[in-house]
Amino acid sequence: METALNQTFKTKATKLLGVNKQDAKISKTYLFVSFVILLVGGFLGLAQGLNRAGLLELPSWLNYYQILTMHGVFMLLAFTTFFTFGYLYAGLSHELGGLLPKVRKIVWTAFASKIIGAVLVVIPILMNEASVMYTFYPPLKAHPMFYIGLVFFAVGMWLCNVGAFIQVANWRKNNKGKHVPIFSYFATGINVLMFFALIPVAVEVIYLIPWSFGWVKTVNVMVSRTLFWAFGHTLVNIWYLTATSAWYVIAPKLIGGRRWSDTLTRVVIIALVIMNITGGFHHQIIDPGISLPVKMMHVFMSLAIGFPSLMTAFALFAVFEKTARKQGGKGLIGWYKKMPWGDVRFLAVFIGMASFIPAGAGGIAQTTNQLDTVVHNTMWIVGHFHLTLGVTVALTFFGISYWLVPYISGRILTPQINKLGVIQTWIWTIGMIFMSGAMHTAGLFGSPRRTSYTTYGDHATALGWDPYMMCLAIGGTLLIVGIILQVYAVINMMFFAPKGETEFPIAEAEENASPTPYWTERWGIWIIVMLIVVAMAYVVPLTEFIVNGPPGSPGFKTW
Amino acid sequence: MTQLLVGLIMIIFLALPPVAKIMESVMIIHMHMQMPMLIIAGFLIAKVFQERFPGFFDKWNRNGLPGIMLFIIIVSFWTLPRTMDEALNEQSMEVFKFISLPLLAGIPLRDSWKRLEKLGRNIVVILFTILFFAMGWLYVDAPVQLCNNYLVIDQIILGWGFLTTAICFVIYLGYVFFVDPSKYE
Repeated sequence: METALNQTFKTKATKLLGVNKQDAKISKTYLFVSFVILLVGGFLGLAQGLNRAGLLELPSWLNYYQILTMHGVFMLLAFTTFFTFGYLYAGLSHELGGLLPKVRKIVWTAFASKIIGAVLVVIPILMNEASVMYTFYPPLKAHPMFYIGLVFFAVGMWLCNVGAFIQVANWRKNNKGKHVPIFSYFATGINVLMFFALIPVAVEVIYLIPWSFGWVKTVNVMVSRTLFWAFGHTLVNIWYLTATSAWYVIAPKLIGGRRWSDTLTRVVIIALVIMNITGGFHHQIIDPGISLPVKMMHVFMSLAIGFPSLMTAFALFAVFEKTARKQGGKGLIGWYKKMPWGDVRFLAVFIGMASFIPAGAGGIAQTTNQLDTVVHNTMWIVGHFHLTLGVTVALTFFGISYWLVPYISGRILTPQINKLGVIQTWIWTIGMIFMSGAMHTAGLFGSPRRTSYTTYGDHATALGWDPYMMCLAIGGTLLIVGIILQVYAVINMMFFAPKGETEFPIAEAEENASPTPYWTERWGIWIIVMLIVVAMAYVVPLTEFIVNGPPGSPGFKTW
Repeated sequence: MTQLLVGLIMIIFLALPPVAKIMESVMIIHMHMQMPMLIIAGFLIAKVFQERFPGFFDKWNRNGLPGIMLFIIIVSFWTLPRTMDEALNEQSMEVFKFISLPLLAGIPLRDSWKRLEKLGRNIVVILFTILFFAMGWLYVDAPVQLCNNYLVIDQIILGWGFLTTAICFVIYLGYVFFVDPSKYE
């Protein structure tokens, strides 16, 4: 009882006094590292784009594949995860009355582990000993240090997950029978998904280490690819779920509205957690060794993930329309005028969200075997994930930064930075339209991915890709301008903006909301359902790959 | 009514020849996806039966035991290699599969589950955990084809499907026995 009272007091105190200083330091550090990585990764991306367009000859000591690997590792693994944890822990601290001291210790340990991991990963890439791209598919063999670094990075992520679980469990013990507040509920779902998604990739990395040392001669390539994508696809959806949390919870508040159905929101989270890991299989839809009926089944399992996304699209546009009409918006389309388009916190998030319509549609196309066969190893796929990660996720993260960074820094978002943010958002959007559009189109014409600049002996088809590669370079250049502006804005809001109070904008539940059923809180059950679904999905290919396994492949260094 | 409709649509969809053919072409999908989906369809249909014939269920399934026994018998029957083979070879067995799993397994499961005490439910899960481990061991370890219609690799996959599902049941039992919900709820 006493603890419960303390907790309530702490919760109220945090809400009244603003951010907890110690917790803010955690989020600030994570976000600072995240945006520094974005800056470096952005320049690497620019170098890649200019090289692919034939405009930049890379020096002999830094080749295309090193840059490609580093760009992928920086943007896909580091930028996203550091941001996600900085954001989630800020929310957990805000909603659950400050982080527990032991949770803070865990999160700092996780930070150290991730930094050590990142350094260990980058060193061999710089030495040109690990140009295996961020997917590190065997039989491409990297230096052992690369894989050991990944282990440290994964341990860091696990520790962050455990910290979040302890925090939420403690809150639940002190608030018996209550629903976990919605932001923390999102955080729980994201952490559950990440915790379990890391298991297959950890198994893969652990058996790649002895192989990379040469203690084991061969490796089962198909098992490795399958384990990787069980993680890889889920990672994509972890970013997506993180972005979704801002769409459901934050965006309604920014436009002066209320959240959509609390039950629907929680059901969407549960559905995404249960069905996600199995979706990894559609990344292997044209891999050999998997029978067609099994691939067919997986199409359904992958498309199932689209269902909660469609629920999300419905819910969010309903919130926008409802709010805009309350504010005087009229007409079928006219209500859009009432949205706060001049507010970067909304604009960036909205564009991120809207871009998921073509991005999701492209994803559904790629899930289909016949369509994927046309585009799988082409630039189309690169265009697709620049649309999903580069726009949907990145712009949502940028939009979040315009209130989160001032919130944790005890500063405010000035009109100047807001204006800069609006400009940045448009530059980013136009840059991505150019770059991702060019990638999609060149991909349809057969331009391969994961390939440095070549004209294939001035072959006419390859020369036909050049105009699109030029568009790609133009887009890439706009994007680096966007990144510089974004990082400038973050640094300004973190260290130089005027001091003041910024709110953590969590929208209230809708008026006259029906009570949310308590079964949504039974994560134990949902995790078991998820495990059964994962077991069912992966037992078929994995057993086949292992029982009928080939002798395996020795390592190759093709660069 | 919606549940009845969803359940019936599920059965019709699963019975469509191309759908049935593709699902039955992979042993594990046949047993671990098609059959549970038929049970789920019955589970959904059950509500209408419960509402229309409350007296029947109260009379014959008061404590849930008869219903759960029927469920266990039907499900166990369909875990046998021979029954799968017969479903593929004999049209009448295939029809029986599409009738027995929704009506004799799905409906009694829904009616019985709420009537069972916590202990009863846990015993059912324990029973299926043991059954799944046993069936898993049988299918993984059998050196010969147990079903004429499927290859040995198919039955090994099915065996691992049983084993992994049994492991999930063990995790569930661990959750039920070690996590005290009164601490949180």
